[in-house]
Amino acid sequence: MATTEFKLPDIGEGVTEGEIVKWLVKEGDAVTHDQPLVEVMTDKATVEIPSVVDGKIQKISAKEGEVIKVGGLLCTIDAQAGGHAAKAAPSGQSAPPPSAPKTQSVMTTSSAEVAVPSRATVVPPPAAAHVLATPATRRFAREAGVDLNNIRGSGPAGRVTREDVSRATTGNGHTVPAGASSAGMAIPAFKPSPKISLPTGQAEERKPLRGIRRKIAENLQRSKQIIPHFTHTDEIDVTDLVVWRTLMKDEAAARGVKLTYLPFIIKAVSVTMREFPQFNASIDDAASEIVYKHHHNIGFAADTPEGLVVPVIKNVESKNVLEVAHELLQLADKARAGKLAPDDMKGGTITVTNIGSIGGISATPIINHPEVAIIGVFKIVKKPVVNEKGEVVVRDMMGLTATCDHRLIDGAAAARFVNKLAPRLSHPQSLLLDLA
Amino acid sequence: MKQVDLCVIGSGPGGYVAAIKAAQLGKKTLVVEKQTIGGVCLNVGCIPSKALITAAHFLDKMKSASEMGIRIPAVTVDGGQLQTWKQAIVNKLTGGISQLFKANGVESLMGEAKFISPNEVEVKTQAGVEKINAKNFIIATGSRPIEIPGFAFDKKYVLSSTEALEISQFNQRVVVIGGGYIGLEIGSFLAKLGTDVTVLEANKAILTGVTDPDCAQVVSRKLKKKNVKLLTEAKAIGFKKQGSDLAVQVQVNGTDQTVLCDKILVTVGRRPNSENLGLEKAGVKTDSKGFIPVNSQMRTNVNHIFAIGDVAGQPMLAHKASREGIVAAEVIAGKNSAMDVKTIPAVVFTDPEIASSGMTEEEAKLKGYETKSGTFPYVANGRALSMMDSDGFIKVIVDKKTDIVLGVHIVGYEASNLISEAALAIEMGATAEDIARTIHPHPTLGEMMMEAAEATTGHAIHIVVKPPRDREPRASART
Repeated sequence: MATTEFKLPDIGEGVTEGEIVKWLVKEGDAVTHDQPLVEVMTDKATVEIPSVVDGKIQKISAKEGEVIKVGGLLCTIDAQAGGHAAKAAPSGQSAPPPSAPKTQSVMTTSSAEVAVPSRATVVPPPAAAHVLATPATRRFAREAGVDLNNIRGSGPAGRVTREDVSRATTGNGHTVPAGASSAGMAIPAFKPSPKISLPTGQAEERKPLRGIRRKIAENLQRSKQIIPHFTHTDEIDVTDLVVWRTLMKDEAAARGVKLTYLPFIIKAVSVTMREFPQFNASIDDAASEIVYKHHHNIGFAADTPEGLVVPVIKNVESKNVLEVAHELLQLADKARAGKLAPDDMKGGTITVTNIGSIGGISATPIINHPEVAIIGVFKIVKKPVVNEKGEVVVRDMMGLTATCDHRLIDGAAAARFVNKLAPRLSHPQSLLLDLA
Repeated sequence: MKQVDLCVIGSGPGGYVAAIKAAQLGKKTLVVEKQTIGGVCLNVGCIPSKALITAAHFLDKMKSASEMGIRIPAVTVDGGQLQTWKQAIVNKLTGGISQLFKANGVESLMGEAKFISPNEVEVKTQAGVEKINAKNFIIATGSRPIEIPGFAFDKKYVLSSTEALEISQFNQRVVVIGGGYIGLEIGSFLAKLGTDVTVLEANKAILTGVTDPDCAQVVSRKLKKKNVKLLTEAKAIGFKKQGSDLAVQVQVNGTDQTVLCDKILVTVGRRPNSENLGLEKAGVKTDSKGFIPVNSQMRTNVNHIFAIGDVAGQPMLAHKASREGIVAAEVIAGKNSAMDVKTIPAVVFTDPEIASSGMTEEEAKLKGYETKSGTFPYVANGRALSMMDSDGFIKVIVDKKTDIVLGVHIVGYEASNLISEAALAIEMGATAEDIARTIHPHPTLGEMMMEAAEATTGHAIHIVVKPPRDREPRASART
C-alpha cells in the first residue's frame, strides 16, 4: 500500500487558491481513478477535482470552507498496489496534477498542459520601448494585471508612475476573461450578508475579499471606471404579454420547458438589435476601435448564494423562444449549484438583468465591460393607466431600463432602441413578423 | 523514477540561477548537468577569460611602469602557474554554486538528459540511466562554438575558445579567425602575453553589428599598437601543414595570401545546443538556426517547458540567461513575471573594454527618434590619466525632444564597471539632466558619465568644445 498525498492541482487560468466547497467522499471511502472527490470554488468557477489514483481515502485534511493554495494538501489516499495508480502518482510533493477537472471544459486532458497556467500569451504584455516606467513600477503593474502600454502616464514626458498604475489597477484587467462573471445590478440583486454574531466589544469584523465576490468587485469597478454610463428609463404596457405567457405556459410545459418572461424579453432584445448593431458591440480600448459582434450572445444576471454571476446564452439570433427558455433554465440551474464552467460565462455581447422576480420599478445597472449595454426589466405591476380614449384602465405595466456606454450609444439611440423594443413586448404577436 | 516539480537541464548562469530561484519559491528542483556545474560561463567562458585578460593587463602595466619611475628588470610569464591560478578561481566559483544548491535544497545530477516524453527525461549518468518525471522543465543547455569548413576543431592545431583558454605557451603565432568579441578578447590577451596574433575578419571592420562603430575604432587602433595584425574583408579558406608551420590560406579582397602560424583559433560565433535533447519527443520546436523560440515568459510552444539563455536566442549573454532563468522560475511558481526590460547591457573585454546599454544612434534613428549625443573623452578625466589608461570615451545618446537617455556607449578602461549606471538610467527613463545633476564623486572614472550627459547640451565643464569625430578633443584634465 502506498500513500498518495492528494494536493490541489494547478487548474490553470492563473488560479492560485481555491475554497473547499464540499467533499464528495468521506474518510474510508473507496475511490477510483477519475472519480470526483471534492468541489473546489476558485475565483473563476467551482470545479470538481477528480482522483488520480484508485484507492481508499485515508484522511481528509482540508475542511469544507477552508481556502487551500495550489499544491496544498487535500487528503491522503491509500493507493492500491500494482494498479496504474501507483505509477501515476507516487507519494510526496511530486504528485503530478490530476487530469482536468470535470467542469473545466477549457482544460486539455494532458496533465502536461495543466502544469502551468494559461497559454503562450503573456498578460499583460511587456511594456514597449517607448513606455516610461521604472522597473519597479513595471513589476507592480504586471502583478496588478495592468497593461502599461495602455496607460497615459501623468509624469514628465508621459512617465507612468506607481500612482498611475494604482489608479488603473481595476481599469485594465485583461487577465479576466470577458464576462467571467460581473455585470448586473449594483444593489438589489446581491444576497444580504448572513448575520454574524459578534463577540462583545468588537465593532466590526474583517474578512478577506475573495472568490466570486472579489471577481464581482473587480469587474464592476473596472466597468464603472471605464464606461461613462447613462440609463434610459421607460414603462411598458405588457398586458398582452402576460396573457400570451399564460396561454403558452402549458404548451411550453408540454414540450418540457417552463416558460417565464425572460426568454421572451431576451429574444425581443435580439430582434431589436438587428436594427441597432451598436448595442451588440464593444470598444477595444487599446486599439481605439469599435468591434461589432455578429452573434447575439446574451448574458443574464443570475443571483446565486455566492453572489452575482452572468451565464451567457449563445447565438440567440438563431434560436427560438423555446430554445432560449430551455437553455436559460439549464444555465440558471448550473449557476445556482455553483457549477458554471468558465465557458458558460464567456463571450457575452450584451446583458439582460431581470429584477422583476424580486421587486422594484427601476434601477441603474452596471454594464458588463467590454459590452456596451445592459437591459433591465422590472416587476410587472397592475397600474391605473389612461388609455387613448381618456379612460382610466388597469393594465400590467413593467419598468424597463436601457443602460448604455455613452462613448458608443447616444441618448437618442437608446430612446429609439427602447421605442422599438417596447412594442415587441407590448404586442408579443408582432414577433411573428420578425421570424427569420 | 524520480519525481520533481521542476527539472532544469543545464547548470550555466541561466540554469543554476533558475534552479535556485525555483527552489526558493518552494519548487522541488533538480538540475541535470552534462559536463561541469556552472556551464560555459564559469568553466570555459566569461570567468577564465577574464582571469587571463587581467593577467595580461597586469603584465602590460608592468612594461609601462618605468614611465612612473618603477623599473622592473625582466618580467617573465610562467604559463603553467597562470593556468593554475585561473583554474583555482574557476574551482572556487563552481564550488560556490554547489554550496548554493545544497543550501537551497536543489538536487543536481551529473549526466546527459534527453526527453522521452513531454513529462519525462532520461538521464545517462555514470551509474546508468535514470528517469526523471517533472511537471515543468527549463531547457538551459547553452551554446557551443561554431565550426567552419576546412577548420574542424582538432584541439591540436585548430582550437575553439575553450582550448584557447588553456594555452600556457605564449611565444607562438596564432591566427584568429573571426574578429568578433570572443576572438578579440582572446587575441588581445594572447598578444599582450607575447603571442604573435593575426586576426582575420570577413567584414570591413571588427565588431560589426556588436557595438557602436566609434567604439570599435578605438579598439582597432589599440590592437595595432599592441602589434596585432588585423586583416579585414579576409576569408579563411583552409590550412595545411608546412614543415612545423601551419599555412593558413586567406582570401583578402579577392587575392590569395598565406599566413604562417602555430595554432589557429576559430571564433566565428556560437550555435545553440538544441540537438540530441529529444525535443521532438517533447514536442518542443526549434527555429531554422536551432534556437528554441520562447515568449516573454520564456515558455516554449509546449506550455510546461521553458527555455532560457543561449539556447533560447540572441543575445548570447550570461546576464541575459540569468534574468531569463529568474523569470521562468517565477512563472513556474505561479507568479506573473515576464522578461520586461528596456536594455540588456553588453560588455566586450577587449583592450580597452567596450560596454553599451540601449540604442546606438543608428538604431534610435531607425526607431524614429531625433537624437542628440554628448561625448566625453577619457583623456580629459583626471582619474583615467592617473591610471595611465586614457584611451576611449563615453557617449550618451538622448531623445532630442524629451532629453531621455536612449543609449550609452563606453570604450575605455573599466567600461564594464561603468555601464551599470547607464543601464539604470535607461530602465528608469532618466534624462541626461538627471545624470548630469547627480553628483559623481571626484576623482573617478564615473565623472565622465556626468560630463558626457552634460555634453549633450554642449555644456560639459572639462572639455572646450564638443569634440568632432576623428580628432582628439582639447582637454584639460581636472586636477
